[in-house]
Amino acid sequence: MSEVLLECREIVKVFPGVRALDGVGLRLTAGSVHALLGENGAGKSTLIKVLTGVHPPDAGHLTWRGEQVHLRTPLEATRTGIGVVHQERNLIPGFSVAENITLQNPPSRHGLVDRQAMNAPALRCLEELGLDLDPHRLVRELSVAQQQLVEIAKALHTQSEVLLLDEPTASLSPQEAENLFQVVRRLTARNTCVVFVSHKLEEVFAISDTVTVLRDGRSVLESAPLADHTHDDIVNLMVGRAHTAAKMLPRTPEPTSVPVLALDGICTARGHQDVSLAVRPGEIVGLYGLVGAGRSELVKAVLGLDRVTGGEIRVDGTPARIASPRQALHEFGIGYLTENRKEEGVFLEQPIHRNITVTVWKKLARALGVVSSAEERSVAQNLVERLGIRASGLDQNAGELSGGNQQKVSLAKWLAADTRLLIVDEPTVGVDVRTKHVFHELLWELARTGLPILLISSDLTEVITLADRVLVMADHRIRGEVGNDHHYERMSGRIIRLIHDRAPSAVSAQQDAK
Amino acid sequence: MRTPVRTPRNASRADDEVAAPKSTQRLPIWVNQRLGLLVLTVALATLFGILRPAFLDQRLVLFPLLRDISTLTVVALAQMVALSVGHMNLAVGRMASFGALCAGFGYDRLGLPLQLGLLLCLFAGAVIGALTGWIIARTGVGSFVVTLAMDFALLGLVSLLYSALTENAAFTTRPSGLMDLRSTSLADICIGRVCGSPAVPQLAQFTVLALAGLGFLYTCTRMGRELLLTGANPAAAELSGIPTGRRILLAHTLSGLLAALAGFMAAVGTGTFRASIGNDFMLPSFLGAVLGGTLLTGGIVSVLGALLGTSLVGVIRKGLDLLGVGMESLNIYLGCVLLLALSADRVRTVVSYRKVVRSA
Repeated sequence: MSEVLLECREIVKVFPGVRALDGVGLRLTAGSVHALLGENGAGKSTLIKVLTGVHPPDAGHLTWRGEQVHLRTPLEATRTGIGVVHQERNLIPGFSVAENITLQNPPSRHGLVDRQAMNAPALRCLEELGLDLDPHRLVRELSVAQQQLVEIAKALHTQSEVLLLDEPTASLSPQEAENLFQVVRRLTARNTCVVFVSHKLEEVFAISDTVTVLRDGRSVLESAPLADHTHDDIVNLMVGRAHTAAKMLPRTPEPTSVPVLALDGICTARGHQDVSLAVRPGEIVGLYGLVGAGRSELVKAVLGLDRVTGGEIRVDGTPARIASPRQALHEFGIGYLTENRKEEGVFLEQPIHRNITVTVWKKLARALGVVSSAEERSVAQNLVERLGIRASGLDQNAGELSGGNQQKVSLAKWLAADTRLLIVDEPTVGVDVRTKHVFHELLWELARTGLPILLISSDLTEVITLADRVLVMADHRIRGEVGNDHHYERMSGRIIRLIHDRAPSAVSAQQDAK
Repeated sequence: MRTPVRTPRNASRADDEVAAPKSTQRLPIWVNQRLGLLVLTVALATLFGILRPAFLDQRLVLFPLLRDISTLTVVALAQMVALSVGHMNLAVGRMASFGALCAGFGYDRLGLPLQLGLLLCLFAGAVIGALTGWIIARTGVGSFVVTLAMDFALLGLVSLLYSALTENAAFTTRPSGLMDLRSTSLADICIGRVCGSPAVPQLAQFTVLALAGLGFLYTCTRMGRELLLTGANPAAAELSGIPTGRRILLAHTLSGLLAALAGFMAAVGTGTFRASIGNDFMLPSFLGAVLGGTLLTGGIVSVLGALLGTSLVGVIRKGLDLLGVGMESLNIYLGCVLLLALSADRVRTVVSYRKVVRSA
């Protein structure tokens, strides 16, 4: 019955410092829902970008209905029949629904866009999806879920036969998600292939026919029927990487000592409710959650970048009001290694020594605010050696380093400042496996010397390798805490259960409210 | 580009090790703007000197040329300081004219001596700059918009004040010493029998002071480094504990102060304090700074470059003028120079980006 639409073999894509895709295969058949699964950083987004012509692959073949194709631009991909709805919205807010749907091929008369003629095709696309939307409405007046459906309608207008949905349900309510699944079923009924990328396994099992699992840029399960696999099989495939036994020296955090940082019932303007946690000297506390769970936002609020609306922050047992990252650093000794290395972590076009010493200029400054260049360089040189940063010299711009080394520079800045608490946010995203290990050892050693670390991560292995306790966050709340026994299977099961238990309980809470 | 991609990981690591020391080499020498500027300026001056020997006349040509360059260098520095935090100061000319207004007011109405009038002028510039910086830091509105609005506001305010306070729309009272400042050169300052060149105006002392002060600020101090990092990446700077708001305020205050200094110098140069001072400052301010190697996007400045860039423009302007090129065509040439300067900026970005990709 099923015709193979798009097939790719041995796709390789290399970015500076990372092998994002390393021999990935995928086969998409008409009229099916194909799930694309993998942890963060496994290469899903990169694969989508290769399939949609954003990134040309460095090696490998793409075939469309048996013929080899080269997709160089997103427009070529669209013309071939591959549509995509990205995680973030890509509509023009000031344009109407009809204008957005027909954007890539607007009906025209005498070279001018014909607004009247837009409505008919737009309505046809909306109808096919079973949507009742006024094509004249401006997109910015629509809800997020509606906008997403408009994007799907847009893909229909360009006659997409393969439709890629990247985390479509991430920002939808259960009801909206159900609507979306109905649309997906309609699409498959008219012989479209829908590729479904999601972290929510329940949804995947509910609507998908076949599945591909990526791990570390490779496809560990390739276009297999989903019915042959259980929930646990898939989780194991996603996360079950060969565990190199970490030969790290044991740490013994004292559970009774006064926490260096304690949050007590924190609520924030971003929607965090009743978040409590404590980090003690020499302890690594993992804060695990999926992207969008509100972990980085929590830290930013604690650092004074966003409003804390309730609860208490205690540093060394005394209540503290932190107004800015500056105060957090200079008064409370809290360092925050951001997840967003390129935008918030390093100064790409500044030399390494400035990147590292930025936090200590205040200490180094003498009369008139003079900072001795020699002192600055010696601080930087020490850290470059200690962390093994590979650079041609201290004057090299940080942007010229590989991702892992940039991340080390970003960390070095906080070690230079000699902080009393380190908050580390997704330290190894976009960093290759080897550097990842180096980083883990580094963090472990830091904690062993007594530095408390709050480790934010959506990488299960990382959390289980490093943390003493794991707090699980979802939807801006702490869902529970698991003491880490470093046994991977047991731990991952418990943690994932904490996250996935949430859906039914949230639904029942809603029903109770009614 | 394809070969390194296909090599296995270990091999590419080894490549990296080899490639790493290579990238210590800075950009090729033709990209080093300051050296190029110096060579170009000297070469052009020589060329003009050969074509028109009058170009090298110390009193009649070089003296006014250097006086203009001194003033415009301070203007370029005023712009450079704003650019260092990744901002712009479109009101640089009007801040200059506001400063000059305050100095003129001080001399005419308050009977201040020369030095106090200058201080009043600098204070006024700093205040107006600080106000601009405060608005930008506080509201988060872009510096382009805020300084543009400030430009219009000052344009109106300055002419209004001149017509309210004076009869001919200019302050003509000259405190003692002002005319000396206008026309003395190093030739008038002698140590024993050795006198300086009659081509170097005394006004240049302000420029030298400004250059030295900013050079010290940007190379030696914490403030200067923090200004640059704020310009390079405001988000990262904030998270690294730099008080970015205060640095933005500082940059605009300095920018206003320097603009006012330039306004004072221009007024001294022409001998009257009038509203038209600073009218033609904006374009040269960018030209001088960017030609000198200051990045429009912030984070990299060159204090000496501002002087060299301004000198080049000054020499071209004067030389073409002496060669009999009309005012209009002269502006065409200057437009081309600006375009080239901005392209050089882009070329540098592209070159350094390619290096990143290659080293990765």
